[in-house]
Amino acid sequence: MFNRTKLFVGINLLSSMVVLAGSSAAFAQSGSSKDRWLHVRVINSDHKGEIVRVNIPLELAESVLPTISKDRLHNGKVNIDQAHMNDVDLHALLNAIRTAKDGEYVTVQGSDQDVRVAKEGGRLLVHVKDNKGSKSNKSDVDIKIPMHVIDALFSAGKDELDVVAGLHALALQGDTELVSVKSEDSTVRVWMDSKNSSD
Amino acid sequence: MLLAKIALGLASTVAFAAIYTFREGVIRVDVDEFRDGGSHVHLWVPAAAVPIALRCTPRNHLENAAENIKPWIPTIRQLAKELEKYPEANLVEVVDGTDQVQIRTHAGKLQIDVHEPGESVHVAVPIATLEDISSQLTENIPGA
Repeated sequence: MFNRTKLFVGINLLSSMVVLAGSSAAFAQSGSSKDRWLHVRVINSDHKGEIVRVNIPLELAESVLPTISKDRLHNGKVNIDQAHMNDVDLHALLNAIRTAKDGEYVTVQGSDQDVRVAKEGGRLLVHVKDNKGSKSNKSDVDIKIPMHVIDALFSAGKDELDVVAGLHALALQGDTELVSVKSEDSTVRVWMDSKNSSD
Repeated sequence: MLLAKIALGLASTVAFAAIYTFREGVIRVDVDEFRDGGSHVHLWVPAAAVPIALRCTPRNHLENAAENIKPWIPTIRQLAKELEKYPEANLVEVVDGTDQVQIRTHAGKLQIDVHEPGESVHVAVPIATLEDISSQLTENIPGA
């Protein structure tokens, strides 16, 4: 009888050790994941001081996006309505930019806005600066998108943006700032690095 | 002597149950309303009990739930699977004056915290439980 009790206790203790070993192994495995993170930070400097911080692992976005089917998003691709393109053949335009040398493509200095579109170091740069309006409405927008990300985005077809392919291409990129918007009362920053939290 | 054996058996069973519960984690829901007569709900449920509870739930209720969230089940499943790779991460944080919302993973749990004047809500669910629930709901999709 005593032997059976000992056996029962022994089995229980052994099971407990197996369960604990399982948890520590799972913890060790989960701790080893190294990925690229996409960060979004919005800071409003109004009286309430609204702050939004979003940190998303690119791998997570890449694998979750294809499961969402809502409105224009299906299988990780967004349908682009050609009606809103003003008859511009985006693919032809991108092809022209891709094969062109680095340089400034568009420079507009107007009373309302200054606009600059350029290609530099394999990236498409867009800079828009507001000149008109009250000081708080003026904004400075900087967009820097690697060309291979743009290629990936437009790789799906004529009327589609392949967001997953774009994210995958982005993941191959080093630490980089993608979007920066600065105005008197707010700043927006979108960037990518290997940290799991924003600064 | 017999009592000692029974006690020893019971103690080791309780120890095993405690370790199993610890491993599976606990679902925690705290809702506090900071006003006169405000409710304070504090719910701790062992995550290990969830699959059992789902199996005991009447099939038609599960089928209804599965039908309602059917389009999102693959997303929840994939999200849970991916989130397991990130046991410590601040995913979303919104601070608006005195209101605060935070979604993060901590110690293998998905945590949602909402604080606003007069009310706070804290929900923590082990990520593995999300996967279990979505799997069981998938099994209960009518015609699946």
